[in-house]
Amino acid sequence: MLTKIMHLLQMTDSTFPVGTFSFSNGLETASHMGIVHDAETLEQYTRSVALQAAYSDGVAALLAYRAARKGDLEAVMEIDRELMLFKMNDEARMMLQRMGKKLAELAVRLFPDDKLIAGWLEAIKAGTTPGSYPIAQGLAFAHGRLSEEDLYASHQYGVINMVLGAALRCVRVSHYDTQLILQTLSAEVPQYYAVAREMTFADMNSFVPEMDIFASLHEKGNMRMFMN
Amino acid sequence: MIKNEKLEYTDKQLVDFDSASEMKPYLTKPRAMYVGAPGKQGYLNLGFELDASGKSILRELDRRAPLIVQQELYFDEELPGMPCVYILSSGGPNVDGDRYRQIITVKDGAMAFVSTGAATKLARMQDNYSGLEQTIVLGKDAYLEYLPEPIIPCAHTRFISDTRMTVDPSATVFYSEIFMGGRKYFGDGELFAFDILSVCTHGERPDGNQLFREKFVIDPSRSPIRDIGVMHGYDVFANVLVMTPEANIAPIYDATAAFINEQEHIAAGITHLPNNAGLLFKVLGPEPGPVKKIVREFCSRVRSQVKGCPLPEEFPWR
Repeated sequence: MLTKIMHLLQMTDSTFPVGTFSFSNGLETASHMGIVHDAETLEQYTRSVALQAAYSDGVAALLAYRAARKGDLEAVMEIDRELMLFKMNDEARMMLQRMGKKLAELAVRLFPDDKLIAGWLEAIKAGTTPGSYPIAQGLAFAHGRLSEEDLYASHQYGVINMVLGAALRCVRVSHYDTQLILQTLSAEVPQYYAVAREMTFADMNSFVPEMDIFASLHEKGNMRMFMN
Repeated sequence: MIKNEKLEYTDKQLVDFDSASEMKPYLTKPRAMYVGAPGKQGYLNLGFELDASGKSILRELDRRAPLIVQQELYFDEELPGMPCVYILSSGGPNVDGDRYRQIITVKDGAMAFVSTGAATKLARMQDNYSGLEQTIVLGKDAYLEYLPEPIIPCAHTRFISDTRMTVDPSATVFYSEIFMGGRKYFGDGELFAFDILSVCTHGERPDGNQLFREKFVIDPSRSPIRDIGVMHGYDVFANVLVMTPEANIAPIYDATAAFINEQEHIAAGITHLPNNAGLLFKVLGPEPGPVKKIVREFCSRVRSQVKGCPLPEEFPWR
């Protein structure tokens, strides 16, 4: 039991080397425009990012986890491809693929006996599967025999913390503010999970048009604070 | 080979979204006319193709009330060879238990413009929902502009749509939808008072290769619609999908600005669809007028790239 908790902490920790720190999910633009400028506006924005992930990436992670528990690599790759069909902007696709490959490379070292993860990394290298991060998380959690709830919580925690971590560098908020937001938004995760656990590909959805516009402004290169 | 679907007279239900999980709360049998009843199940099959002289014409026209298309007109001054069609609905708004099936086919080398005669109103619903299933098929070098008037949901509207676009790699489709948050000036304002809007659009190649799948489900009671990142302070949202040959993507993308104009309270963004399928353009604004204007400007850019001419000015009565 303790080992499982240690595993969960390891894979959720923000120092877990998958490169979460390099992405701000459009926050940089929202902050530059003065739209996100304090704790309250940051909470709203972070909630939108969390909700967007809750019914798309989070669902893909759960589906991949279930396929991995059955040892079904074909199904894992199918979920991976379906998720990428759904990712509507370049930055999101790039972020998920970079982080996914990093986690896969790390996971083959952490779990050298796991044939599924090894097979999936090979498929990424061969270009037959995109290699997205939620799928990698599903595989890693299935290996560690952690629960679906653990996976979903860790996934949402990662998303929320990524935005809040970026906020400390580009929004005028304190560590107290970000921890309070994390606590508030964490309390909302169970209600997302109750919906997400029943979802299939057909149900995956997201609606964050203003965030999409922030991402587009960022993609067009009008502003880049996170250059180095 | 593009085949046309023929429909015999039926009151069997053609369109069914009952298995969609987001519609689960809205599956009560309508107390008014049954689902599939004549007049409550619109059907439209539009087939555009080149005639022997090489002119684009509306060859196929099959319809069931309440959907009406009369005949093609050639009123586009910039592209006088393009057949233009308005879809009308004789039933007024979409009501509880309505189902619609629309098929638009543009065969090899042909072009077409499709719009609606007026905004699509979605009435208040109490038992069931209103559903629309669309298929859009484009052959080699075909060109379609789909620029309907806005969709206006009332309080307690439930609407679901599924649009499948099967597009040859050499063809271009401009597919736009403008959603109002509701009847903004009705009573004290009726914005985001609908029960649910669920909109899904898929893109694929004729060989079945899937390119993208976009789905949004807006349920204002479940998630905070006014949060930053979602609708924030905007009341109108336009979603535009452009599937076009790869060579057109970069010039259109580069010529299209992403912006947030705080004075006019309007914003737009553009990005690439997965698998080099084309572009996705989104606009947020305060009223349908300015949003529509930006969507038309974008369409003009796409048309200039593909057909070498801009969109004509919008009619003053539209």
